[in-house]
Amino acid sequence: MLRCVLLAACATLAYAIAEASEEQPTTPARIVTLYQGATDSAVALGITPIGVVDSWLEKPMYHYLRDALTNVEHVGLETQPNLEKIAWLAPDLVVASDFRHARVAPLLSAIATTVTAPNVFGFRTTLTMIANATGREAQASELLQRWDARVADFRQQIAAQMGNEWPQKVAVIRFKSDHVRIYTSGFAGSILDELGFEQPDTLQTQGWGMKLSSTENIPALDADVIFVLLEPDDAAIANNYRHWSSHPLWQQLSAVQNQRVYEAEPVSWMMGGGILAANAMLDELYSHYGLTQPLPRQACRALAATSVEQTTC
Amino acid sequence: MTKSTVLLLSLLLAASAGLSLCLGSFPTPPLEVLGALTAPQNSDITFIIWELRLPRIALAILVGAALAMAGAILQSIVRNPLASPDVIGITSGAALAAVLFLALLSTHFSLHWLPFAAMLGALISALLVISLSWKNGINPSRLVLVGIGLAAATGAGTTLLIVISDDAAAMTAYVWLTGSLYAAQWKDVEGILPWLLVPVPICLAFARHADAMALGDSVAEGLGVPILRSRMILLACSVALAGAAVAFAGGLSFVGLIAPHLAARLVGRNMARLVPASALVGALIVLYADLLGRVAFLPKDLPAGIFVAGIGAPFFVYLLHRTRRQR
Repeated sequence: MLRCVLLAACATLAYAIAEASEEQPTTPARIVTLYQGATDSAVALGITPIGVVDSWLEKPMYHYLRDALTNVEHVGLETQPNLEKIAWLAPDLVVASDFRHARVAPLLSAIATTVTAPNVFGFRTTLTMIANATGREAQASELLQRWDARVADFRQQIAAQMGNEWPQKVAVIRFKSDHVRIYTSGFAGSILDELGFEQPDTLQTQGWGMKLSSTENIPALDADVIFVLLEPDDAAIANNYRHWSSHPLWQQLSAVQNQRVYEAEPVSWMMGGGILAANAMLDELYSHYGLTQPLPRQACRALAATSVEQTTC
Repeated sequence: MTKSTVLLLSLLLAASAGLSLCLGSFPTPPLEVLGALTAPQNSDITFIIWELRLPRIALAILVGAALAMAGAILQSIVRNPLASPDVIGITSGAALAAVLFLALLSTHFSLHWLPFAAMLGALISALLVISLSWKNGINPSRLVLVGIGLAAATGAGTTLLIVISDDAAAMTAYVWLTGSLYAAQWKDVEGILPWLLVPVPICLAFARHADAMALGDSVAEGLGVPILRSRMILLACSVALAGAAVAFAGGLSFVGLIAPHLAARLVGRNMARLVPASALVGALIVLYADLLGRVAFLPKDLPAGIFVAGIGAPFFVYLLHRTRRQR
């Protein structure tokens, strides 16, 4: 819960910063975002889209984006956005992804100028793409510089803290009600890679990852550290997690024996897909490893936590 | 009553298409729709009517008609009321090919090739069913049994592919398998049209042969029907129709099974009437299924496949009930 509040606070903050430093007249003002990462990035750049797609979890919109997106129209699902609704909204910019919307691209372009990212998880691409289309290049490069500085700081601190044990091999596991997925690439994978984590040997040849349906396959999950993504309101998923984690094979995993299994927030680790989610994921990593955050970020968190008026932070 | 029934169904279809054209994210008054249709340059909803609603309605009608006709032809040549393109493996062959394309090839090829992949799948599985069930010609019950077996095998292949492909490709595949008319464009309508224009006249020309074969092979032979040739030609028509529908709208199941039955209850089993009536009934089912998908859960736009069975089944039960009481 606290995490949600923090996330929301930071989203609002990023919004406020971007809003305040806005000087040039905004070119396209009516923007529709058709995937999660685009919505996140638009908010990070201080844009309030006029239309967004439903979120995957915490429906209809992730808690961390809700404050910035009150009264914004929803245009259906990311996989099948309602074209007519989009047309009625008369946007002047549509942000889509080739990967999801290749089939509807001609229709989207007929509705409004459309920019597309090749996939839905490349948060840098999404951010720069939206920034370029809306004349917010300065804000985007500021956000990315801040991100790069945080990444550099994390890499330095964790290498110092872990010593010989660094780089760690990491597994990101998502529990579903009847199977388990392990992800190697995608949003979390690319960020962990950027932070210097390595992949377990068993997974290096596995493309996007694997689906495991039997507890027999638990040894494939072996890594120095495991991050587990659960869905908070789903009892079946919690049950499956209990079932797997009580299995003798699970107890033999080195991450389990060294008590390095952490539960992670699926929204920031997987669903959000934008720079705000990436920063939230990095926040989580800082706190899991007990590292101290560089000042500005920390100040923001401290202020938000004591619920001092957010705009001052 | 049969001729007037077909006329009535046509009128109903036209009225339903008109209704569907007026409904969407926001209902549009019929006069405005008419304005956009007749004078597109003067209307601000031209894009919504001409590029979003109209092609989708047209494709729904064509796909529904194609599936229903494919089912009607198949049911008559194999003399089995449970036969339909989904049951004997044509649809599932197309589905396997489409999922194969989505999972393995979609990164290398444009999505425009998907209909071709599906079509190829339908054709290959039809050829497989025919060659595996061949024994001095085509025996209808062998055809059905082999078809069911092949459908199960290709279904397993499809499931396997979905399991091993990543989440996103799997999600696209699921939507495709459900059957959807989402984002239909005029080029889709143009793409499917030849696949109806060629088989339909052929199958109407062979309608009498089909009627004769419905009485049994020996009777048909006695009446001078070249059984094997007629059966092959009709089967080819059925495969082309079903393959085209699946290629452009995905795995809409149930229409090919239920529409011919509904039509038969209205006009009887005479092929020359059954085929047009089935086409109209199938078109109506898919049109309403898609309308529900478009407007029932706004702002979500849901695949028509979800609603096909929901619309077809109650009608079917009603008709069964009515004919039973008449007897």
